[in-house]
Amino acid sequence: MSQDIATIRVTRYRPEKDGEPYFQDYKVPYRKDMVVLDALNYIKANLDGTLTYRWSCRMGVCGSCGANVDGVPKLTCASFLHDFRGRTIKVEPLPNFPVIKDLVVNMDDFMHKLVEIKPWIIREKESPPEEGEYRQRAEELERYAQFSSCINCMLCYSACPVYGLNEKFLGPAATALAYRYIQDSRDQGKDVRFPIVHELEGVWECTLVGECSVVCPKGVDPMLAIQKTKILGATNALKSLLMPRGGK
Amino acid sequence: MSKQKPYPEYRRKLGPGWWLSNSHFTQYMIREWTSFFVAVFSLIYIYELSLFATGQKGSALALMKNPGIITFNIVALAFTLYHAFTWFYLIGKVQPIKMGKTKSKPWQALMLNIVLLVILSYTVIWILVLRSG
Repeated sequence: MSQDIATIRVTRYRPEKDGEPYFQDYKVPYRKDMVVLDALNYIKANLDGTLTYRWSCRMGVCGSCGANVDGVPKLTCASFLHDFRGRTIKVEPLPNFPVIKDLVVNMDDFMHKLVEIKPWIIREKESPPEEGEYRQRAEELERYAQFSSCINCMLCYSACPVYGLNEKFLGPAATALAYRYIQDSRDQGKDVRFPIVHELEGVWECTLVGECSVVCPKGVDPMLAIQKTKILGATNALKSLLMPRGGK
Repeated sequence: MSKQKPYPEYRRKLGPGWWLSNSHFTQYMIREWTSFFVAVFSLIYIYELSLFATGQKGSALALMKNPGIITFNIVALAFTLYHAFTWFYLIGKVQPIKMGKTKSKPWQALMLNIVLLVILSYTVIWILVLRSG
């Protein structure tokens, strides 16, 4: 199989030495089946062992290898080098997050938001295990199935200018996951999650840019989840205002 | 053992030209700008109505025929249509209608809303202008 040479321009930031990030170019021989992550691994193994980045599964499942590739947030394991043939491939850390080193960003803010929306099934009263599992029909699963495919890769946060301008914004992935549990027929935690997603920096901060859904590598549509959550909130508010006992 | 101070993280901020970095962001920003043209159009319209209401019909008509106002109205109309069409498309994305086993596509919502817009606009024009003429 023939090999071409790709020029990879990687952001370098060594906090112990550098005041600001800078770019460093590497020449990487590649085959048609190689992805950007393979190029980073080649650099690490053969050219510069100090290059730092996150990765794990190499198959678009773990969500840890996200980076800004050629100006767009992508999984480096799913970005083929031949798609950038003939031009320098710029690999930068995910935008909107503080950079710890090279391509590694601080994910603490996202992790806190993830926990905040309580991404697990909440029951008013747990049934004893001998009563069996909480069963669900296929059409009930369909209501939230796509939103359960999120791999927490944070590409949606990197693509969201609202989050870029205001990091207090709950953001796309956390809201999509909250909506996933709100729509789950086995879940009874709507009243717990509603105040979180409808607070000042919750769903109402979203101005419908829609880029979160464009960059999602798993086909999740966080923009849809955010708008559906807005609709649910508005309907609930109207019900509690107009109907006896809040329409419950 | 002495506690090592953590190294500083590098924080990047979105610059004022962030919306030029991506065509989707630019399209979004243009949609946001439409509100400016709608607001200015509304103010001019209210002023024209106030001229009519105070008996200054000549001044009102002169203002409406002003080439600058006509040009502005054409630009405002283009921005308003852009706003309407992009929202029609987004309605289709946010609220797809279930049709048997499939769901409606955003472009179908866009086309349906354009047809409804034309019918409604024609009905209003017919009631206000054509019927009496």
